[in-house]
Amino acid sequence: MASTDLRAEFLALSAALTGFSVFRLEGTGQTDAYLTTIGDIVGEATVDALVSVHRGLVDATGGDEAELQRGLRRELLSDAKLGPVARNLVKLWYVGTWYELPAAWRDTFGPSLRDRTFVVSPEAYTEGLLWPAVGANPAGAKPFGYGMWAKPPRIDTV
Amino acid sequence: MSLHPITDVAGLHRHLEAAIQLEHATIPPYLTALYSIRPGTNSAALQVLRAVAVEEMLHLTLSANILNAVGGSPDLTVPGFVPAFPAYLPDGETDFEVGLRRFSTEAIDTFLKIERPAPADGESIRTVERPPRPTMLGAGKVADDSEEHFYSIGEFYRAIEDGLIRLEAEHGPELFAGDPRRQITPEFYYSGGGEIIPVTDLTSARAAIRLIAEQGEGDGGAIFDYEDEIAHYYRFQQLVLGRYYQAGDVAGSPSGLPVDVDWGAVYPIKTNARVSDYPEGSELRRAAEAFNRDYAGFLALLTGAFQGEPARLNDAMGDMFRLKDLAGQLMRQPLDAAGMEHAAPTFEV
Repeated sequence: MASTDLRAEFLALSAALTGFSVFRLEGTGQTDAYLTTIGDIVGEATVDALVSVHRGLVDATGGDEAELQRGLRRELLSDAKLGPVARNLVKLWYVGTWYELPAAWRDTFGPSLRDRTFVVSPEAYTEGLLWPAVGANPAGAKPFGYGMWAKPPRIDTV
Repeated sequence: MSLHPITDVAGLHRHLEAAIQLEHATIPPYLTALYSIRPGTNSAALQVLRAVAVEEMLHLTLSANILNAVGGSPDLTVPGFVPAFPAYLPDGETDFEVGLRRFSTEAIDTFLKIERPAPADGESIRTVERPPRPTMLGAGKVADDSEEHFYSIGEFYRAIEDGLIRLEAEHGPELFAGDPRRQITPEFYYSGGGEIIPVTDLTSARAAIRLIAEQGEGDGGAIFDYEDEIAHYYRFQQLVLGRYYQAGDVAGSPSGLPVDVDWGAVYPIKTNARVSDYPEGSELRRAAEAFNRDYAGFLALLTGAFQGEPARLNDAMGDMFRLKDLAGQLMRQPLDAAGMEHAAPTFEV
């Protein structure tokens, strides 16, 4: 398992990128799986770079959420190396799938053998943030019970 | 709840109300251990805990059927119905308490005590000695000399069965004058740990009691019951002894295939967590409170189903899975930076 600091910073970055609270992210049970996935594919140095850009912006913006979001777009999502990785992290949380990085990224920064499109685990799919975001249930997975599909979903507001 | 030997219908009702409370009181501890197992691990333990929890739900429903049959009215919403864990069980065992803890040898140890066998037929009903003092559950009545404290759940049900036989001899079939439309029938309850038995007379009431007693602790301590199903006590024992029972085994010496248990693949949830353990104003605290509200709503729904609207059981089913989801979210929340301890649902209703 990752160091306590890295795990906490990874969660803080993920919350800023996804719009879901750390509580909701932890509630999916996927924190360690995603941190391991991304570290295995792009390397720990790149993960460190991701969280340190976020940490720097948090320090610089002093609680101004709008300014933090602008900073993330400017310094993280627009960065040639970190941008595609950050977008992949958002996709991980939302759909539980790692998408192969763009060809240009692979050409420039070196391909990883593990960088191919895959669903992290069966739980990652049903725990995706996509479902609460669109106000639906993952078909056939939540909620269980005969006839439950006939009832409107009970999804918490974010 | 104070229990005295059953001499009249009111006493029978009190015992059956205690039976419903007792069956329910085992469910949060079993579910807490079950949900604390990390997804994708411990399939053997998962199966055992799930099977037992579901059978307790069947027992609760069977007890409600008996109470309805004799003109009582099951109510899972009365104050004190859900114990504040850790708690003594409402049939009066006082040598152990049940609590909400992670899947662990300590948890299984308690579960073995809950399901411990009564002696074989013919022996007298054993009770547990204890000095008079306020009871843990119910309205806080002070115990007196004639209060009953059973050594095992099986003996508690045997006392109910004796009472039913005695009162039926006294009142005749009129004892079972409850509205049959309040019975939960197989139309409303299915694939839930066994067959639901609608209760309309002494024979069906005794069949329901037999099912409860044998699924729990075996028939007079037998490992397998009359349906060749392994009793809860022995199911749990397999997890600590590391082997499955098979036909012909002697109690305590299972000789079947090895049982794989990974005691470490568990969320390290806080034992007997309370809402007040969670920071005020935090999302975690709000989620724990929401769980308890939903749980209270679920018990109200069940009460409606037992009070003449059996079709509502289907709605309650959906609630169960939602509660499971919320419990999972809570158990994944670390309470400290190092993740040494996690949150858990508190079942404070």
